[in-house]
Amino acid sequence: MTRTRPMRASRPPLTPPGTDGSTGGEPEDDAPATEPAPPESGLSEDEPAPSGAESAPPRGEPAGPEAGPESGRPPGGRWRRAVSAGIAAVLVAGGCGFFHEAHQLRSAEAARNRALTDTEATARVAGEIDNALARVFSYTPDGTATAERSARAVLDGRAARQYRDLFARVRDDLADQRVTLSTEAVRTGVIELDGERARLLVFLDQTSRRGDGEATAAAQLTVTARLVNDRWRIVDLKAR
Amino acid sequence: MRRVLRALAGNRPRPLTALALALTLVAGGFAAWAGQDWYAAAHDDRSAYAAQRDEALAAGEQAVQNLNTLDHRDLDRGLDLWESSTTGELHEQLVSGREEFAEQVKEAKTVTTARVLSGAVTELDDRAGRARVLVALRVTVKASDGAKTEKDSRMLGELTRTKGRWRLSALGQAPMGGASAR
Repeated sequence: MTRTRPMRASRPPLTPPGTDGSTGGEPEDDAPATEPAPPESGLSEDEPAPSGAESAPPRGEPAGPEAGPESGRPPGGRWRRAVSAGIAAVLVAGGCGFFHEAHQLRSAEAARNRALTDTEATARVAGEIDNALARVFSYTPDGTATAERSARAVLDGRAARQYRDLFARVRDDLADQRVTLSTEAVRTGVIELDGERARLLVFLDQTSRRGDGEATAAAQLTVTARLVNDRWRIVDLKAR
Repeated sequence: MRRVLRALAGNRPRPLTALALALTLVAGGFAAWAGQDWYAAAHDDRSAYAAQRDEALAAGEQAVQNLNTLDHRDLDRGLDLWESSTTGELHEQLVSGREEFAEQVKEAKTVTTARVLSGAVTELDDRAGRARVLVALRVTVKASDGAKTEKDSRMLGELTRTKGRWRLSALGQAPMGGASAR
């Protein structure tokens, strides 16, 4: 794949017209086309001599494309200019090609996602989220306040609202039934990591104890997290 | 007349030529910079690694889905797909157990379909061609009497790259039971 890129870069024919104009190379390019137009150069010769001589030098630049005075130049200079304009055009086109390709490579979705490519950041977000989930979803019958306090620290946005609604419904039952819940993240995978935003898939084990009974349930969550003040906060939770 | 013009042109410093030369140099500089920038981007290990990660995940999710999909009316195609999605030990197990398993499914007359809910790569060894994935899956089993049951499962898959393609070399349910699972 990479081998084909240089080819693209040497595909200047599309760009030269624009770049040529800016380098003043157009006269040469147009010259062949307008060469069989002697009437113009003839005209300037037929024109009264004094005015012709005076107007010729300034005419040289703007009226270049007409190839009027140009035809009087030694062919060597003309070629040099044509060649250098051509080279410049090729270089500019090539440079643009490289620039474009480099930009494409860097902004490709795969490259922007730093999950696993940035090992440190990946481990950090996974660790912080595991921790946060364990704290928020673990409580004792008398200690729901601790979980709720943790929730205020690590949950944000939709996740915080979901959690408040959930706890408002179950808080009384929890106290009545004397349920202890402990949650542990057993496997965590970072799906996406992009600077300040991350998405993770977390497999949780939730063990609830009530009296003598104990039951463990499996849960799968996708978590959306955002880095706020250098701490990862959960902004959305979705059961999977 | 012409001679005069030529003489004038000859003596004049040629701004166009100088400009063209300067622009050529600038263009050359730009091309050289852009070229090395592209080279750096194209040979960035990280982007190659990222591409492998995405390939492994896509292949892993597809393979896990394939291995949880089977229609008793079209067993051969389903089991061929199982075999083409796997490699290594898992592949051998599937091949050797194929006959027996096909009989069981024919008898049970079940249609199993699966949908991947989410997946993530947890480990990737780019050079060795090994990766581990987590996949959250919803499996729907339709029994012979038309009754449907849905079950969510969490799978751990191990992938091995063979001939440039990622295939499943191990698959299992993520075990429950806390720390011991790690």
